[in-house]
Amino acid sequence: MGYRLQRLPTARSGISLAARAGAILAALLLAALVLAASGADPLALAAEVYDSTFGSSFGLEDLGLLVTPLILTGLSVAVALKIGAWNIGAEGQFYAGAFAATAVGLFVPLPEPLMLPLMALAGMAGGMAWILVPTLARAYAGVSELITTLLLNFVAILLVYYVATGPWLDRKTNALAATARVPYEMPEFWGIVHWGFPLSILLALAVALVMNRTTWGYEVRIGGSNPSAAAYAGMPVRRHIIAVMLLSGAIAGLAGMFELAGTVHRLQGGISNNFGYLGIMVAVLARGSAIGVLAGAVLMGVILNSGIILQTQGLNTSTVLAITGLILFFTAIGDELAHYRLVRTEQATA
Amino acid sequence: MDAMPQIPARPAAGPGAPPLVLLRGIAKYFPGVVANQDVDLEVRPGEIHALLGENGAGKSTLMNILTGIYQPDAGEIIIEGYGKSFASPVEAIAAGIGMVHQHFKLVQAFTVAENIHLGWAETPRRIRAAALEARTAELADKFNLAVRPGARVGELSTGEQQRVEILRVLARQAKVLILDEPTAVLTPSEARELFRALRTFAAGGNAVIFISHKLDEVLEISDRVSVLRGGRKVTTLPTAECSEASLARLMVGHEIVLSDLRGRGPDAAPVSAEPVLRLSGVSLADELGTPLLSDISLEVRAGEILGIAGVAGNGQKELSQVLTGIRAPSAGAIELGGAPVLRAGAEAFARFGVGHIPEDRLHSGLAPALSVADNAVIREYKRPPVSRGPWYRPGAAAALARSIAGTAEVSVPDFSMPIRNLSGGNQQRLVARREMRIAHKVLVAAYPSRGLDVGAINTMMRYFVELRDAGAGVILISEELEELLNLSDRIAVLFHGRLMGTIPADKADVEQIGLMMGGQRLAAPARVLEEA
Repeated sequence: MGYRLQRLPTARSGISLAARAGAILAALLLAALVLAASGADPLALAAEVYDSTFGSSFGLEDLGLLVTPLILTGLSVAVALKIGAWNIGAEGQFYAGAFAATAVGLFVPLPEPLMLPLMALAGMAGGMAWILVPTLARAYAGVSELITTLLLNFVAILLVYYVATGPWLDRKTNALAATARVPYEMPEFWGIVHWGFPLSILLALAVALVMNRTTWGYEVRIGGSNPSAAAYAGMPVRRHIIAVMLLSGAIAGLAGMFELAGTVHRLQGGISNNFGYLGIMVAVLARGSAIGVLAGAVLMGVILNSGIILQTQGLNTSTVLAITGLILFFTAIGDELAHYRLVRTEQATA
Repeated sequence: MDAMPQIPARPAAGPGAPPLVLLRGIAKYFPGVVANQDVDLEVRPGEIHALLGENGAGKSTLMNILTGIYQPDAGEIIIEGYGKSFASPVEAIAAGIGMVHQHFKLVQAFTVAENIHLGWAETPRRIRAAALEARTAELADKFNLAVRPGARVGELSTGEQQRVEILRVLARQAKVLILDEPTAVLTPSEARELFRALRTFAAGGNAVIFISHKLDEVLEISDRVSVLRGGRKVTTLPTAECSEASLARLMVGHEIVLSDLRGRGPDAAPVSAEPVLRLSGVSLADELGTPLLSDISLEVRAGEILGIAGVAGNGQKELSQVLTGIRAPSAGAIELGGAPVLRAGAEAFARFGVGHIPEDRLHSGLAPALSVADNAVIREYKRPPVSRGPWYRPGAAAALARSIAGTAEVSVPDFSMPIRNLSGGNQQRLVARREMRIAHKVLVAAYPSRGLDVGAINTMMRYFVELRDAGAGVILISEELEELLNLSDRIAVLFHGRLMGTIPADKADVEQIGLMMGGQRLAAPARVLEEA
């Protein structure tokens, strides 16, 4: 009698869900061990994190504020993946969206009810503008969007630093390295959580609907999975690449606008909190599924929130980053292991 | 075969010598599939043992077990009288069992000598390239396999690459050489050369296991044949007692007749007077201006099968792309149903009723990572019931997929699983059935039988006859002359992107087509005959 592992071509969904839960648990356990070894009391820390996050409505509201941009940046990356493109530039498009929304909010004199919709449009346009060149380069010249979107991040980040500390610097207070306060704010939805939160969830649901339940979404999925098959069936792959990548940029830009008008209210360097890069993790955790992005964003939000709480307990940010990395690492292992099953051999072959 | 002084001296096996390989009661199960069950196989020294079976009969699984890629769920592997268990191919080759796979596992950027010595315990730790090449030349000489040690593998022809693979296995002192469909990639003369090398190798007291589903080859090369069907071994016979018909019967379980399918039943649609698809003076060039197709004029009528013969790589792929609207010609005109096509486009062609079985289905006809259902509706997703207006209906897509799988006689356990999980033969059947649904006017089939076994090929041929009799024009691009002669009403020959002429199949002889495949234009009288 012996036992052996056997690999299956597809993992059953129940098992892969269990593998993910196990992976997250294993990552947290390992982190707890390391914390215990360095003299902290992991149980007390965990209790503190739990209480501060889920024990009060304040904690949940904080979580909601973190989850909102993560849903959108995760969705931005996941959408691009549908057509087979890696949008590493959600970070830059986030900045570009916040920048464009600020420009409108500070300098366009229009009646107040028009301002928020206009800022949202400007945010989306900013995100689209930021991904336009990588999109065209990919669609017409086959240039890898991975590199181009990534590099444009630095341009956007530096541009925002420049305007926030230079031409648009708030001269009145002069204390902040930020622009003046944008006078238009996203209305509150629940506590301090603004309407961006439900809108982001709706957007994720809408994207899932479009991708899975429309012929356009079908063409995008085929084109993303195998461009030659799409060409074979006469689908306009190039047009879809352009449309989907621009949509991806628009969603990331909208995230920037929400963050500005809902949470920060002033354009400043570092406004993105790395949400654009974290969106890549969210999309990977969600395996490119728009619905999965919701769960991935909540998980990432909890980790970020825990990080903020742990910092008040004297842990530094690298610890939190390390835990994030551990979770991703273990999830990848769990996903692979979900393909295996244990079989019993009737005869020892040796 | 007389004395072979260069063969490694190994005593010729006497009658009492144990078999080189003995498999007993081998079983291998995959989820929902019995890949092998109760398989016994004996391979004797000095023999070439053919392993014959349809796609999915369990040949590859069995050989993967023998070479340590898989471990059996039951049964024993006995090598020269000793029970063994291989945890990896490295252990199998150490025991003298090496395999040359259908897809070569060579490093393209390395030289032949480097590839031979890669990952080999006997390779010296530090050695100059010249010495490495000298060693390789010595090995090549010893095993009588002509290779150029200094050449980069990427620059070699497929036949030469195969020789490198074989030499790599033999250099590791293999006593049993397993070849998976070795001639699929070879020209006839390369195949003859390979056969000679195999006989020499076997004559030295070694053995060859030859996996194939080409019956004529098996009859030509092997000493004994083992037939697998549905994961079990049907029988092992001396080749001398077999014929193509008897082997085919054993393989599929019933008699197969590959023969004249040109005859029409009383209900068959007549051949139309007007062509349903016509190319006049069509040329195609790549971005650099290199001509791929030159001045091609051909027509196919409703209710007939037009065969396109030619050695692969003479413009077949490009021609099928032009015929189905995927690529627009750079010169010349296309007519569909008598009307000129002004703007080419695969979608417009499909809407007119042109179906297309592409030559590499997984790479151009399917989205491997998407579900069986999504792949089944790639031609009909824009029409009800699969969609209503802009809305795509996954339920209706799955229902259509189920019906296509039904007519294709493919059992799919789960229509939401990625289509790459299906076997190549099953993918091909699904694609064929999917395309036949839209091919009301024309079906362009490129190498439809490639990689299929006799049973599946016959099914495929019946599909084409069915379609022809229903009044569609079929363009069959193939390199199997027998298949073309059996099916086609007319045969056109493609050479270097040009048509060498078109001849009626009943007036054609293999010899003449062979000359045309080699670049000789059809002589004038025959052309008159065609137009008469």
